[in-house]
Amino acid sequence: MTKNSAFRALVIDDEPLAREELCQLLNETNEVQVLAEAANAIEGLTLVKQHCPDVIFLDIEMPQLSGLDMLAMLDLDTMPYVVLVTAFEQYALQAFEDNAFDYLLKPVEPERLNKTLTRLKKRTQPQTDIDAIAPTTLLHIPCVGHQRILLLPESDIHFAYSDVAGVHVKTLEQQADTQLTLKTLEERTALVRCHRQYLVRLSCVAEVKLLDNGLATLLMKTGDSVPVSRRYLKKLKALLEL
Amino acid sequence: MELILSLLQQMCVYLVLAYMLSKTPLFLPILSISSHRKHRYLVYVVFSSFCILGTYFGLQIDDAIANTRAIGAVIGGLLGGPVVGFAVGLTGGLHRYSLGGFTDVACAISTTLEGLIGGLMHVYYVRKNKSLDIFNPWKVGVITFIAELFQMAILLTVAEPFEKSYALVSAIAAPMVIANSVGAALFISILSDKKTIFEKYSATFSRRALTIADRSVGVLTSGFTPVNAEKVARIIYEETNVGAVAITDKEKILAFIGTGADHHLPNTPISSSSTMESLNNNKIVHLDGAERPYQCTLNKNCPLGSVLIIPLHSGSEVVGTIKLYEPKRKFMSTVTLSMAEGIAQLLSSQIVYGAYQQQKDLLSQSEIKLLHAQVNPHFLFNALNTISAIIRRDPKRARELVLSLSRFFRINLKQNTAVVTLKEEINHVNAYLAIEKARFAERLQVAIKCDDAAMSALLPSFTLQPLVENAVKHGISQRIEGGLLTLNVRCTPDNHIHILVEDDAGLYKPQKEQHAGLGMDIVDKRLVHQFGQQSGLVIEYRTNQFTRMSFSIPHTYHHEG
Repeated sequence: MTKNSAFRALVIDDEPLAREELCQLLNETNEVQVLAEAANAIEGLTLVKQHCPDVIFLDIEMPQLSGLDMLAMLDLDTMPYVVLVTAFEQYALQAFEDNAFDYLLKPVEPERLNKTLTRLKKRTQPQTDIDAIAPTTLLHIPCVGHQRILLLPESDIHFAYSDVAGVHVKTLEQQADTQLTLKTLEERTALVRCHRQYLVRLSCVAEVKLLDNGLATLLMKTGDSVPVSRRYLKKLKALLEL
Repeated sequence: MELILSLLQQMCVYLVLAYMLSKTPLFLPILSISSHRKHRYLVYVVFSSFCILGTYFGLQIDDAIANTRAIGAVIGGLLGGPVVGFAVGLTGGLHRYSLGGFTDVACAISTTLEGLIGGLMHVYYVRKNKSLDIFNPWKVGVITFIAELFQMAILLTVAEPFEKSYALVSAIAAPMVIANSVGAALFISILSDKKTIFEKYSATFSRRALTIADRSVGVLTSGFTPVNAEKVARIIYEETNVGAVAITDKEKILAFIGTGADHHLPNTPISSSSTMESLNNNKIVHLDGAERPYQCTLNKNCPLGSVLIIPLHSGSEVVGTIKLYEPKRKFMSTVTLSMAEGIAQLLSSQIVYGAYQQQKDLLSQSEIKLLHAQVNPHFLFNALNTISAIIRRDPKRARELVLSLSRFFRINLKQNTAVVTLKEEINHVNAYLAIEKARFAERLQVAIKCDDAAMSALLPSFTLQPLVENAVKHGISQRIEGGLLTLNVRCTPDNHIHILVEDDAGLYKPQKEQHAGLGMDIVDKRLVHQFGQQSGLVIEYRTNQFTRMSFSIPHTYHHEG
């Protein structure tokens, strides 16, 4: 197999030598092209978005956001094939097995890695049920602030919106950019869709202004106004018990 | 002569009263020689009444009264001291005065004096440390005799006219002196007899209880087992002389000693419903053989006719019973009944202590095992993974790491040493950090500063490395940008060694991270166990700034060999 048809992969692990070892093993197979390496889950999210890889090799034990946390933050539509990598995860291993998640144990055996690649070639995308091993609700939202990474508590977020620059979340104090998609946020947080480009937290709505032709505007406690499209107004009204 | 007889008669009434008094709960406090105010007040009331009674029982003779008032006054003084004696005498005297007659003043004075004499003798005996003499009937008789002589003398000197008083004294002196002295002596003898009986009874009771306690001490602490239960049952059987003794747990008979042992077999299930009743309701069941008959459920011809079943506790939980049996022809004595409860309590506390002791032993053993087991597989496999990466480009460094790893495990597996030198602990830490530094590279910065003079100090094994591991595992490695680990060992001027492990992650959460908390808990316990409370682990933290774990140990020198 040539480099061109090789699998495009990301390696995400917080230990540099562990990354180096895995990259070396992957290169030796001649079937994988490692596009980039990430030292934590947050960098990993950015890289996934940036490269849209075929496969990610994801370490579980990582600082602040574990590999499983990161799994919950991936957009299901563009989800790469995930291979979990762990040194020893007594109980979780069974869970991975039961849910057909591919996993590798450190130190990685080349034979075992080949098996993974064989599976990958068949394109059996087994990961249907992420909820079985990854958290179903996000407690923290990883955000990129001014040259630093921060984890905002989910409950602090008043609303989220997307524009050409990406996805933004707004708390009472600040606005930040996140790598997560609105879809992921909608699925895994308490935020509710009110517009194609907006999610709001209902408890943070100060006022609802009903407009003509089935539209509305929400006045948020942050002082911002958020548009409501015709499509979501009925559902929103029901949720707000209007 | 007639007067003597009637006075002696009077005295007898008096003695009957004294006997009755000895039957009341009042007599014990009265007989105890104490300076307690309540007790003195009691003595005053009781003996003032006797004094007044003495006057009332007296015989009217020529406008005067021959009486046994002196008994109350003297004994009141003897038992209560001079103040009480004076008060009793005065009360009796004033009462006599109120009845009038030509000897009224003389009698009032003399009775007061008699009380005072009793009181002074009380002081004399107590000072001489011979307070037991107060209960000696002979001595009491003599004291009353002298007191009565004083009274006669006062009668002669105070009462007017002299001829009349002289006639009176010559008539009543002998009868009154004799009746009062003998009366006082018998009075005290009745009270002290009762006291002796009571004390002998308590002494026998206590001796038996103490013998049982003494012989059974420690037997049950090694466990509530059939073997130990049999030992205890035998002791109780021998010391209480009951028909039989059984000890059960919640399901079966653990031991049975005495009559009926042929069919009450140890290790067989409990068959009697009254035992189950006692176990289930946690109460004492007494089948006395009369009102509540006892019939052995195992054998119709069983000679046992009554049983007392007392639950045994471990804490608040019922763990078994102790049963005392008497044969059909014999009833259980009240002494046995009350003693049995005490025995049950004694055994219960031993069971509790035993359980506690066992748990404590288990705990310290399991704690050490836990620490060994805490070599977490994550660490091991990550270390191997790291080494396998390094082998490719730097075999020499890989070799060093393999040596560090084996050094780490060698120290970890040294299970038998409870106490090690600080130097060994630092070696353990260094071996551990060598691996972790390779794993986390520049994310883990380490600053170690150690006073060489401290290296020989002794401390419990596994105290330092767990702190360092905790700082790496739950601190620095949990931060994306990593951090600095500081280890400081310094000798303090007060001949102690202060050891500090600090990380700048500041992720410590008290009581939240169960697993980490447990490890630190054990370190703390081992330090406190070895050096006392002041050496316990001190944890300070400021969220996102630092977590500081430190302790201080005395600088004890370790000489090799």
